[in-house]
Amino acid sequence: MRIFFSLFFFITVVFGADATIEVVKKVDSLPTIGVEDSSVSYDDVFKTRFFKALVSDLNVLSLFNVDRHNYITHYDESRVVVENKDKDYVLRYKLYEGDNQALTVDMKIIKNSNVVMNKSYKIQNSKLSVFVSHAIAYDVNKFMGAEPVDWMKKKILLARLVSPQQSEIVISDYTLAFSQKIVSGGLNVFPKWANKEQTAFYYTSLSGKKPSLKKVDIKTAKVENILSSDGMIVCSDVSLDSKKLLVTMAPEGQPDIYMYDVDTKKTTRLTTYSGIDVNGQFMKDNKIAFVSNRLGYPNIFSKVIGEKGVEQLVYYGKSNSSCSAHNEYIVYKSRESNDNFSDNTFNLHLISTETDFIRRLTATGMNEFPRFSQDGDAILFIKNYMEQSSIGIIRLKFNKNYLFPLSYGKIQSIDW
Amino acid sequence: MGKFNQLIGNHKFNMYIFAIFRYNGAYFIKKGCVMKNIILSSAAVAVLFFAGCSSNKPVVDETNKDSASTQFTQPVEEVAPVQDQGMSDSTVKSDSNEMTMANLENSMLSVYFDFDKYVIRQDMKSSVTKDADMAKADASAYSIKLEGNCDEWGSDEYNFALGLKRAQAVKTELVNEGVDAKRISMVSYGKSAPVCNEKTKECWQKNRRVDFKLLP
Repeated sequence: MRIFFSLFFFITVVFGADATIEVVKKVDSLPTIGVEDSSVSYDDVFKTRFFKALVSDLNVLSLFNVDRHNYITHYDESRVVVENKDKDYVLRYKLYEGDNQALTVDMKIIKNSNVVMNKSYKIQNSKLSVFVSHAIAYDVNKFMGAEPVDWMKKKILLARLVSPQQSEIVISDYTLAFSQKIVSGGLNVFPKWANKEQTAFYYTSLSGKKPSLKKVDIKTAKVENILSSDGMIVCSDVSLDSKKLLVTMAPEGQPDIYMYDVDTKKTTRLTTYSGIDVNGQFMKDNKIAFVSNRLGYPNIFSKVIGEKGVEQLVYYGKSNSSCSAHNEYIVYKSRESNDNFSDNTFNLHLISTETDFIRRLTATGMNEFPRFSQDGDAILFIKNYMEQSSIGIIRLKFNKNYLFPLSYGKIQSIDW
Repeated sequence: MGKFNQLIGNHKFNMYIFAIFRYNGAYFIKKGCVMKNIILSSAAVAVLFFAGCSSNKPVVDETNKDSASTQFTQPVEEVAPVQDQGMSDSTVKSDSNEMTMANLENSMLSVYFDFDKYVIRQDMKSSVTKDADMAKADASAYSIKLEGNCDEWGSDEYNFALGLKRAQAVKTELVNEGVDAKRISMVSYGKSAPVCNEKTKECWQKNRRVDFKLLP
């Protein structure tokens, strides 16, 4: 018996935190939550939009079975609505116009007829109401003692193709409910946040004589030319301290991965293969992961910076053409079918460099451009399916995917 | 300081609106908040920025009923961006020169490639030879920009690199045919410059190509 418990404990400790192991069924055990709207100001469209945003955020937390019905009640009513009386939790909120016409939201959580949490939010511009919804969800998550969902507060950068050789760079929230064009005119692609505070970003401009990498400081409005190269130039990754960039460029027409030092402005070539080496990603232990066609098809490799040897990381899939790394985990895009152009073409997979498991993360459509959140809790990706371009969020620990469609255009690239 | 501040960042965002306009062949940015002109080398941006401007007032408040009120800032503001019109590589040229260059450009033949390949096919070699002949004769006064393109399968860096390798393959062939390498520049547009948008194999085939652009 002792051996059995020791073995059980060992397996739990060793494999419990491995994200490549899939959580198959956990839904039945989730607590239920109902949402009650007590708003007094604003029109029905606005109120409905806020309700939907909040329900969606609560759903993405993956902590509750969320009742999607919109129940109306008074904010100070001591009892919950009849339909919610058996719920584990009830979230009640009230939208109203506060001082200086600011959108004000009072919120409380009721459990067993007791208010267990309450808070108030205020925002001057009601168009930004979705950020209040994210703030409520973030606080509810914290109240429930779940692992932080810092990515929910991150702003998303995306490049949207609107017509041939025309794109826009947009800042939005993670659900695309709010979005703001930042760069438009010409072909500007591959935006990448320059630091974790999200005060500046890099992007590739293809409108000049040579492709160039630019940096925009969104606080000082300064646009800085960083590098330029014949053929192509892309900022693939930024180190955690924001001091080093992995850049794909081709000064001699040969796409290779370079490291750029932000302080010294020195560039060091990291790969020298005569084919394609792109998409460098910082890993731990002074390593990078990258995409190369050195086996005759695109696949994921790694190497130690400054050393010559290259290690193949992925042994599955015929065409693995993009990747994102977080510590020992790599998420990559893989062409599933032998038919180059069948419907179910590209899926995302997760591997760990420390185990042999492979976990498929998506099932239908064309899924690409995976990006780990900084804490590794979630993966952001682009999904194109039936002419609809969406961004997706994968919550690895909960085995859940969420999609947020783009209103127009096609997403070229994303970052958060 | 509360969670909302953490949630949307600690920055006080007010607004600058930048209009980009052209004057005497140079591009300028006009800042809506404080007037300031900045010459842009490539004039690629029409930008809305958030930075400290006239007001230091925060715009978002979060009040925790259990504690003193806290102030927060807003991340972004809704304003229509300014469209940039001046996006071409061209400098000032005479009309007749432009006509000649456009005609020559139109008569140069695009080079097509197989799926996920950047080797010039046998049936494309004659096109490259004709292009090389034109580059050495009628178009000898111009620089050549090779634009590599891919089909719609993938918007990642690999696809851009594939477009570039296609352009490089054509460049190598042109140089072998006697065209001066210094006249040739390259750019890859990945899948972002399709000539055909239908969902057919024929259409995708048309998009896997290298185009020729002439520059003065």
